[in-house]
Amino acid sequence: MTAALALVVGALINLTGPGHYIHWGFIQISVGNLVVIGLMVVTFIAAILIPYHRKGGQS
Amino acid sequence: MARTKRFNPDRDINVWTGPYRPYDLAKEIIVTFLAVAVIAVVLAVVFGSPDEKSVTVKSWSTADQVDFATTAITELDGTSATAQYGPPYNDVKDVSQMIGPFSIESALGVHIPVNPAQDFVLGPLSTVTGNPKLSKALAEYKAATPEQQQAWSAAYEEAVKTATVTAGTLVVPPGDYGPVGTLIGNLTQLATSGGLDASLINHAGFYSTDYTKSLLFVADGGYFSSLGDANHLSGEQWGMMNETGSYPGQPWLWLYTVWYQIPPFNGDNTFGANADALVWILMMVITAGFLLVPFIPGVRSIPRWSRVYKVIWRDYYRSQR
Repeated sequence: MTAALALVVGALINLTGPGHYIHWGFIQISVGNLVVIGLMVVTFIAAILIPYHRKGGQS
Repeated sequence: MARTKRFNPDRDINVWTGPYRPYDLAKEIIVTFLAVAVIAVVLAVVFGSPDEKSVTVKSWSTADQVDFATTAITELDGTSATAQYGPPYNDVKDVSQMIGPFSIESALGVHIPVNPAQDFVLGPLSTVTGNPKLSKALAEYKAATPEQQQAWSAAYEEAVKTATVTAGTLVVPPGDYGPVGTLIGNLTQLATSGGLDASLINHAGFYSTDYTKSLLFVADGGYFSSLGDANHLSGEQWGMMNETGSYPGQPWLWLYTVWYQIPPFNGDNTFGANADALVWILMMVITAGFLLVPFIPGVRSIPRWSRVYKVIWRDYYRSQR
């Protein structure tokens, strides 16, 4: 029962387990955090570059 | 004659004389809310969340009885990190962090009083009934002089270094530690049974959510810090509230913790010894700087100089050419 429930509600990608880390000088950061930072940068650039929806037009 | 100030594009507002376009703010809020909700649900289904079992006094003492006993004796003789912490837990002098000549902790005083010997050891043991040997040991310890108590504790601290666990029971080599062996042995049994967790919870309110004492006790031991080290959660990693495994934490809060990784705050010096207080005050100054950006000449001009707004509103500026 528990196993079946875990199969239904369990995460498709399991991130539990040993983490991966990047060392660069005095910087130590997990790959997970680095991915989030990368996505934040991409989102910021996209927010600037993606053109506004022009439906409705300028008056 | 009234003196007129020269127009400053970073301080003064131009009256907009150009065209206007309709914009549905309510629609944007609803669409944004729904989009974020869908993304959150999808991410939760795909990745789940960390599900580490919480560390309790029971789980700690069961996993490492020797570490528990080694820590418990330091609580009894007043040499543990909690016992020597100072405000807000006790009135140990000259241990609080300083900002110049001022200590915020000392100024606020002892407002969460914790007496490790009484709260972590003697108090919980006093609640055990039907154990004459323990009651006798407690009475003997309490009746002894402070010098005798320290001598027993010192002897036990030495003996427990070579303690072992046999058939689930703590075995400490014989020594001249009087009733302390009985006290710590019974405390270890109480801890492994889960009884000590219950004793350490503050029952002052309707809900039992004050885990201060059990958290302090667990943090004094070596077991908890070894788990933190194994998960890279002992402060050497960038970001705040990092997670176990490969789950991301809150890396955008890096600015608060980066100071702990660079000189002078990471050194064995006055800055390092007072890093928590100094980093806090430094961040307050930086935060005030961010809040006051519109009033700081030069800094407030960066958006205009960087011309990012011309990229965002490029259609408008293209039509103006």
